[in-house]
Amino acid sequence: MRNKRYDGAGRGDLLLWIVGAFLLYLLWDSGFFTAAAWSDFNRRFYQNFVKDNRYMMLVDGLKSTIFMTSGATVIGVIVGLILSVIRVAHKGGVHIPVLNKLAETYITVLRGTPAMVQLLIWNFTIFASARDLNTQYIAILAFGLNSGAYVAEIFRGGIESIDAGQMEAARSLGLTYGSSMRHVILPQALRNVVPMLFNEFIALLKETSIAGYIGIDDLTRAGQNIQALTLEHSQPLVMVAIIYLIMVMVLSKLVKKLEQWLSRGRRG
Amino acid sequence: MKIKKVFALLFVLVLCVGVCSADEAKLKSPSDLKTEKLAAQRGTVGQFLAEDLLGDKKALLLTTYEKYVDAIAALRQGKVRAVIMDEMPAKRFLSEVEGLAIMNEPLSEENYAIGFRKGNTELVSAVNKALAEMKADGTMDRIFAKYLDGDYSAVKPEDIDFNKGAKGGKLFVGTEAGFAPYELKVGTGFIGIDVEMCAYIAKKLDRELVIENMNFDALPMAVSTNKVDMICAGITVTDERKENMDFSDNYVVGAKQVAVVKSDDYEK
Repeated sequence: MRNKRYDGAGRGDLLLWIVGAFLLYLLWDSGFFTAAAWSDFNRRFYQNFVKDNRYMMLVDGLKSTIFMTSGATVIGVIVGLILSVIRVAHKGGVHIPVLNKLAETYITVLRGTPAMVQLLIWNFTIFASARDLNTQYIAILAFGLNSGAYVAEIFRGGIESIDAGQMEAARSLGLTYGSSMRHVILPQALRNVVPMLFNEFIALLKETSIAGYIGIDDLTRAGQNIQALTLEHSQPLVMVAIIYLIMVMVLSKLVKKLEQWLSRGRRG
Repeated sequence: MKIKKVFALLFVLVLCVGVCSADEAKLKSPSDLKTEKLAAQRGTVGQFLAEDLLGDKKALLLTTYEKYVDAIAALRQGKVRAVIMDEMPAKRFLSEVEGLAIMNEPLSEENYAIGFRKGNTELVSAVNKALAEMKADGTMDRIFAKYLDGDYSAVKPEDIDFNKGAKGGKLFVGTEAGFAPYELKVGTGFIGIDVEMCAYIAKKLDRELVIENMNFDALPMAVSTNKVDMICAGITVTDERKENMDFSDNYVVGAKQVAVVKSDDYEK
């Protein structure tokens, strides 16, 4: 379920991919490019997206998807940062065995169970009696805490990639462990992990498509709602897929740009 | 590289189309379905009936889907030979989708009622009182008449009074809004027989109606964990369900469960 890295990032032209997806869909859906098939496609397109402003259902779904993804990413980064610092500090000689064990357990449990199951547990078990709470907030919490476990490992990798000499130098200059971490190690580590954090955001964007299970009308669910309205199976889903794809491709392009910008002025 | 991939995809598509054609004996009555591939919506009575039909072959032959649209799509694509479902939603599929037929002989007749958390007798009796009033003053007949002819494009969600800001607090109702004419999501709101009925009940109880739209198989969980006050989604009363939840009086009696098949696969 979890796709940590979008492999198509930056490969090929954006426009080509969109056109390609559309052409492939047309082939699949209508068989041939006959006038009858085309007008049928148009009629169904009108039914699915134009009539009664049904495209607004997709727009609202998209808003919900982006809202959840953004919220979850913020929680994920905060939780991930805390967890990774705990784990690295423990390894670096700071005596926090209990905290470290907790962090380890957290990461093991949250990475070892499907996000879907976690989402259901959050909604129907932990927040069973929270009825006035907007379900989207529960989803944000569930996705965010789940993401945190993954982000923790990203951060840990980033911190551990900083040469040990940096910490030694900082400490020998009289900085405490905490301020060496804060002022010397983390800024460098952050620079290394920012692209990966964006990839995490992209992974989350796709993962929120399971939010429909707890009754949130996200982008995927919006497509299903249109299906239920028009009883038309393929067009709404393909449209949803195309919207996801465009978002992911645009974000991937941004990550590439960001990577270039971050590595400016670096030697080698 | 890119061209090759596109061709490989096209090749697979052509293969798929080629495989899907084989001549079989036509279906005559539900008893012919005992050895056929069937589909139903997960958690519905249609699923239970299909399981009874298939007996110990159910693991092989029965596919359950999250949404009716998916089950019907599977039927149209020849993945299954029949979908077991409620008659009224089935009729709507027939009016919107070409090439489908409903078998004359129903599989069973069921009663619909509203479901409650086990032991929530106070709410059950209040709702029963409201239902009795609706039946007595003709409201129930009016609501059904509005939807029975199959065309309810004129019904707007805004016209249904959810009793916003009622003093008695909120009445949370769980439903699965892909079951027209009982419940359907239109734009950002809901319409349907169940929805209008619940709106009336909410008014009688002096509470504000809040619709929670979730998957059908999540509804029993939602009501038993108190996530919602009641579930109203064309739910059939069965002995098994009675063990896990309380039911109101029936508001639909004798709703037929039918098999939907392809019309060219059916011999009357």
